[in-house]
This record gives sequence, structure tokens and C-alpha cells, in this order.
Amino acid sequence: MADGNKPVKELIKREYEHGFVTEIEADTFEPGLNEDVIRRLSAIKNEPEFMLEWRLKAYRKWLEMTEPEWAHVHFPKIDYNSISYYSAPKSKADAPKSLDEVDPELLRTYEKLGIPLHERAKLAGVAVDAVFDSVSVTTTFKEQLTEAGVIFCPISEAVHKHPELIKKYLGTVVPTGDNYFAALNSAVFSDGSFVYIPEGVRCPLELSTYFRINAANTGQFERTLIIADKGSYVSYLEGCTAPMRDENQLHAAVVELVALDDAQIKYSTVQNWYPGDENGKGGIYNFVTKRGACIGRNSKISWTQVETGSAITWKYPSCVLRGENSVGEFYSVALTNNMQQADTGTKMIHLGKNTRSTIISKGISAGRSNNSYRGLVRFGPNAKGARNFTQCDSLLIGDQCGAHTFPYIESKNPSAIVEHEATTSKVSDEQLFLCRQRGIDPEQAVSMIVNGFCKEVFKELPMEFAVEATKLLEVSLEGSVG
Amino acid sequence: MTALATLAPEFASVPDSTLPGPLQRYRDNAAKAIAGMAMPTRRTENWKYSSRHLQLDTALAAPLAATGTISTDIGDAYRIVIRNGVIAADESRLPAIDGIEIVRFADLDEVNAQKIVEQLDGALDTAALQFAPLNSARLQDGLLVRLASNARLDKPLFVLCQTLAEHSGSAHPRILVDAGSHSELTLVEQHESQGDAPALVNAVTELNLAAGAQVTYVRLSLDGTTVNHIGATGVRLAANARFDSHCVGFGGPLRRHDLQIRLQEAGAECRLNGVTVTLGEQHYDNHTVIEHVAPHCNSEETYRCIAAGKSHAIFNGRILIHRDAQKSVAEMSNKNLLLSSEAEIDTKPELEIYADDVKCAHGATIGQLDAESLFYLVSRGIGRTEAGTLLSMAFINELVQQIPVESVKDAIEQRLIDFIETTFQEV
Repeated sequence: MADGNKPVKELIKREYEHGFVTEIEADTFEPGLNEDVIRRLSAIKNEPEFMLEWRLKAYRKWLEMTEPEWAHVHFPKIDYNSISYYSAPKSKADAPKSLDEVDPELLRTYEKLGIPLHERAKLAGVAVDAVFDSVSVTTTFKEQLTEAGVIFCPISEAVHKHPELIKKYLGTVVPTGDNYFAALNSAVFSDGSFVYIPEGVRCPLELSTYFRINAANTGQFERTLIIADKGSYVSYLEGCTAPMRDENQLHAAVVELVALDDAQIKYSTVQNWYPGDENGKGGIYNFVTKRGACIGRNSKISWTQVETGSAITWKYPSCVLRGENSVGEFYSVALTNNMQQADTGTKMIHLGKNTRSTIISKGISAGRSNNSYRGLVRFGPNAKGARNFTQCDSLLIGDQCGAHTFPYIESKNPSAIVEHEATTSKVSDEQLFLCRQRGIDPEQAVSMIVNGFCKEVFKELPMEFAVEATKLLEVSLEGSVG
Repeated sequence: MTALATLAPEFASVPDSTLPGPLQRYRDNAAKAIAGMAMPTRRTENWKYSSRHLQLDTALAAPLAATGTISTDIGDAYRIVIRNGVIAADESRLPAIDGIEIVRFADLDEVNAQKIVEQLDGALDTAALQFAPLNSARLQDGLLVRLASNARLDKPLFVLCQTLAEHSGSAHPRILVDAGSHSELTLVEQHESQGDAPALVNAVTELNLAAGAQVTYVRLSLDGTTVNHIGATGVRLAANARFDSHCVGFGGPLRRHDLQIRLQEAGAECRLNGVTVTLGEQHYDNHTVIEHVAPHCNSEETYRCIAAGKSHAIFNGRILIHRDAQKSVAEMSNKNLLLSSEAEIDTKPELEIYADDVKCAHGATIGQLDAESLFYLVSRGIGRTEAGTLLSMAFINELVQQIPVESVKDAIEQRLIDFIETTFQEV
């Protein structure tokens, strides 16, 4: 709460502190997208034939698709041919085996971001697979994971080392033709993380990846695939920051989770990409498809997200609850300020018997931003005894912002029960008065109230993320009160 | 991908009528505008769940011409009969009260007709009503109810929209209500039919409430099982006006009702109640929009729905709070009872809010009858059908009891009981 005491004006002026460009020579494709680009990309990554075929199939599907327009967001049309589809740090040829070999420029970037990689990794006991632009630069704690039998590596590596797993699972949760952005990602994905937890293993570490968009004009297309085999458990943390840019950057990622019998996956995200300046100039377009499939009995997938960044967020982490007694959870805090637009929510598709899901969504809008919750809860005819509880609350700060709720509820089973609640309100004057009366300044009071509003979600986050998230909300709300 | 289906040109053929010049021109323009209109598909957001029930055979384009009557006992009330879209003037029972004018569009003079043309569609958001222009294009007659300032109708006014479906065809009834400041009106719009041929009713009702006006609107959708029904009601409220609605709908092959409320000035308020029941292969789709345009407006909405058999019920409620509509209070509740494993309920309660000092909430549930309550009743010797009916009625009766017209309330209650009883006998 140290920031709370600074004069409001000073805080308003503060610019995005993670905005800077790392000057590293990058291997970048000419802007444009066609089959040759995909072939080249695949060749650079030295991919086996089946991957190239897979990419091309996705690309052809993408060509036939049209950009979705149903989301409650507005932005100028994206020219997909003005984007470069590949960029990698130069040093990839002689891949570093330890931190000492990593390009010092890169390391300094992480330091500026407040992630002293080795220190942080050791102290926090977190293995960090840092994605810098497109190629994973370094991976720590690999040995400890290897001992447990856990596979945690860049997906480009998994394609070579574990083709059987890739073939079996890639694209099963989010098919190549699922939606416009997923198809684009399938065609041009550069890299991402791959996790496989073998049967009965509880992953000894919380896995974490730091994504960072760097070189200008490079859309980043990560692909993450996490497979939790029978009876295993994994907690995966994802956090993002990106440098300041004036030109909009496109980010179209795909995350696929697969949980087999009795497996549990906990996926947490703190997203703080550059949201653009107060006039809506610049900022990241975050069009992400995240979906988990609870294939096995008693499996569980839990999504927790704290979204404060991006100019536009288009993201619906979903659960397909196929296995009997499987559980899906979605906890979300989405904060928008200035000119940000967010259209985010979840889908809970209940297919199996006695499947249960919980949705807790907290939207906070400030400035001139628009924040929408869009959710789908569907009970198939076989979802006997299925249960859903949804609560989505919105908090408005300022009279120029918007908060919206678009929940779709579809039931084909009489024994399924769904409850949906939504409320919208502002930070009440009584609450503010009470705080001020006790000598708490307005900025701090609002921060406190907002934190209270989000508590239900924060308590789901892993410890270190919870601290970061609280801090992030404070910083993101700066200047919106007073 | 197949080419998008368009509305059959037969639908746009202009009917014979004796409308005054301005209204004829209005109708002809509408007919031109809908030529080649694309039919809603699954991808059309506001027809997402209902487009599959929308099968407008060209036989439905013909005007309905059958004669006859449906005798409906409405008790001690005023009445107007719109048969197959045309007002049957000789069957009316109208008040003789100063300041209350109830006339057919066909009887208007040119000057008044021009004024009506300027008013028509004013209370509708036509962008969201694909079939309202079809009603305009097929305008044969219309009903104008105009209340001067402080006028008060002492008894409810029943508008009986009767469809005689002895052969296939469509009817397009049109009602325009102009309630002057501080006037009071209870309007019962009752849709009923006779005959077994497939038919289409495409009704549009507009209500304009001036400052302080109070209108109670009861809409009963009692059409027979062969009648497709698409209905739209648009309401505009000025300062401190109040609008209460009670919409009761029984399922059919296609049943759709759009209710659009616009709270345009401070202090306006509305309360919308709705009950829908479907069974067999029936369908019912309720779409409501409440727009808070001005500050200090209240809205309250409660819709309950029961779906049995293989039926399909839909609710879509949207609350839109405009930028300057501070101090708005909006509450929406939608509860649904799914009685069979082959029935489907889809609900979408939406909030779209652009003002910060507001209190908005919505709730939606879908569930089944409580097994313990059912067991309790059965264990005390009450038959399953009776127990199920009792509990289902308890679910909706709260809303039925609020219908302010006594005769309607009793008749609808009995009708609902009979309807629900058959759903339990089916099982």
C-alpha cells in the first residue's frame, strides 16, 4: 500500500513501468502470411512432417473463416498481412545450457521486470520456463522435474522428443478450426510450454512461465499443452508483461488442458500486458482460446485469472466436463481502466453425470473502459445431477465506464441445477465515508474496497501470485479516483 | 454454406384495404423494404435458439379470410375484436367517456392518418424486430386507443385478436396506444384462435405513455396448437409514467414475444411479469429489453417458465442502462422448471451498464421439482399428477395472482392447471 500515499496527480502521470524495448538482434520474418511462411516457420523449427501438415490444414481452415464480431469490443480491422509471424533471439543457434550462457541483455530485461530469474527461481522454488518472444531461452529446475518424471519443456522440443503425446493430444481440446484465432494460432504458433505429468505424480513444483512480447510488430502465438495423467496434480502459473508500443500488437494464444481420471490441473494467470495509454493508443490485443477437458472420472480443472492489462481482452477459459463427477472452476478478476475493453468469461460444458462447476467472476471498470462478462453454462442430455453456480459481480468506478453481463444458460437435463446471480454496483459512498472518517485517504480506501471485492478470487491464487495480484490492482487503478 | 434463405415474396404482397392515403403509402413503403429480407438463422443472435422453429411456409402468406366468431366471455369490460387482422367494428363494446378515443385506422381522416404514420414504429427498436416491418407491410387495419390528459378508463379494455384458421394464412394485427399525461388504462390483449390449419399471427402493439400515465397491460397468448405466433410490444415511458405488464403464454409450434421498454424520462418505472408453459413439441421464446435512458428510473422483471415433454423454452432479458441514467434501479429474475429429460430451456439474462451510480441485479435458475416436497405430498395420499401440478402451480402462481383483472386471473389459473396436469399425465 506504499503507493497509496502518493499524491493522486503524480500517480496519474505515471506511465507503464514495464514499457521498454530490449535491443537484441532478432531473426524476423517479413510481414505477411501464406503457405510459404508456414513452411519456412516449420522448417526453421525443424519440425516433423506431421506438424507441417497440421499447420497447413489449420491455415486452410483459417482462410475460409471470418473474424468473429459478436464480442462487445471495437477495434480497427487487423491486417493479418502486416504482421510478422516469426521472431527469435539471435542466440538460439548455440542454445544456452545454464543461466551464465544466456545473453546478458536478456537477463537485464528480466531484472527490469523485477524477475531476477535465478534468484527468484531458487528462492520461490519455482521452475521458470521463460518465453522471450518465440523461442524458450532457458529452463531451470529441469532436473528436479525430470526426477519426478514430469515433462516440462518448450512445445517445439516436445514435438521432437515426445511426438506420440503431441500427436495424441494436440488439438483435441481446441481443434484447429475451433475459432478464427485458434485456427490462426494453429497455423503459425511459434512456441509455448508443454507439460506432462505422469500417472500418480504430484508435481513437486509450481510450474510457471513468463511470457513477454518483445520485437515490434511481432504477433506472438504461444501454444500451451498440459496433460495430467491419471491421479496426478499440477499447478501452473502464467504471468505476462510487455513493453510499451504505439502500434497495436496481436496476441492469439491457445492453451489446452487435458485431465484424465482423478487428475487435477490448477491454471493461474496474472496478465498485465500493456493496456495502451489513457487515450487508447497502443496496447495489446489479447485474443486467447483457453480450454480444458476433464476427460477422466473425478478429474478437476480450475482456472484462476487476474486480468489487468491489454487494450482488448477476448478470452474465455473453459471446461468441458466429460468425465463422471468431474469439476470445473473459474475464478476471475478482470479490471479495465482508461480505454481498455475486455470481453471475458468462461464456458462450462457439462456432458457427464454429476459434473459440477463454479464460476466466480469479478469485473471492475474504471475510466472510460468497457468490461463484459460473457459466459455459457450448458447441460447436455446426459449430464444427470449436474450442478452449476455462477456469480458475476461488477464494480463501476467513474461514470464513463461500462459493465456488462451476457450469460448464456442452456439446459437439456431436468435433474441438472443451475443458479446464476449477477449484480452491478459502485463503490458505495458509505464505505468510502467510513474509511475516510478513519483517516484512510481515498486512493487507499478504494484500493481496500476493491481488494475486498476480489477476495474470493485472490484466495484461489497461489501465494506469490496473490501478493502480485493485489499490487497489480493497486497500480492499475491509480488515477481513477479523486 | 448454403445461401441465406429469404422471406418468400408472397409475404410482401399488399392486401386490399380501405386505409387512408398516408397509411397506404406507409404500408407500401414497408412492403418495398422487406422484399428479399433475409430470414433469421441460428447465427442471428436474437433468433439463435428459435430459428429452428421458424418455418414460414409460403401457404402462410395468404391473408386469412374466414368468417365466423369465437365467443369469449370477458365479463364486465369493454371490448374490441380484431379478427384475422381486421377490426370487427360491430362486435365492439366501447366506452362513452370524454377524452377516450378508440378508432380503426380505416376510419381516420387524411390529417389524423398522417399523424399516426409519424407515430408508428416510434416505440419499437425495429433493428431487433425482424418481423415488425412485415406487420407494417401487411397492414390492413389497425386499432388506435387514445386517452386525453387525465382520462381514465373505468373498466379494462379487451382487445381480442382472433385468428380463424380454417385454411392456411396469416394475420397481422396492429395496435397503437397513446396514453395522455396522468391517464389510466388497463388493456388486455388476448390472442385466441379456432381451426386446425397452420396459421401465422404477426402482431405489433405500441404504447406511448405521457408523463404520469399509468398503463396495465395483460397479454395472453392462447392461440391454438397450429398457430405460429410472432408478437412485439414496444413501450415508451415519459416522466413518472408507470407500466405494468402480465404476459402469459402457452406454447405452440412457434411462439415469440418481444417486449421492449424504454424509460425515457426521470421517474418512469415498469414492472414486467411473465409466465410461460410448454409441452409436447412446443416452443416459446420471450425476449425482453428494458432501456433506462434517463436517471431515477426503476424496473423490475420476473419471468417464470415451465417446460415439459420435448418442448423448448427460451428467455432472453436485457437491461440496458444508458450513460446518463444515474440512480437507476433494475432487477431481473428468471426461474425455470424443466420437467422432462427431453425438454430444453435456454436463458440469457443480460446486463449492459454505462452508468456507475446504479443498482442492478439479475438472477436465473433452471431446476426441477423438489423431490422431497413431491415425496411429502405423495406420502400423504396425493396422486403424482396432482402433487406435480400443485408444486408446479406453486412455482408460477405468485405471478398469476398478480394479474389485476379478476376474470382473467381465474380463467388463466384454471387453464394453467389443466395444461400442467396434462404434462404429468404424459409421463
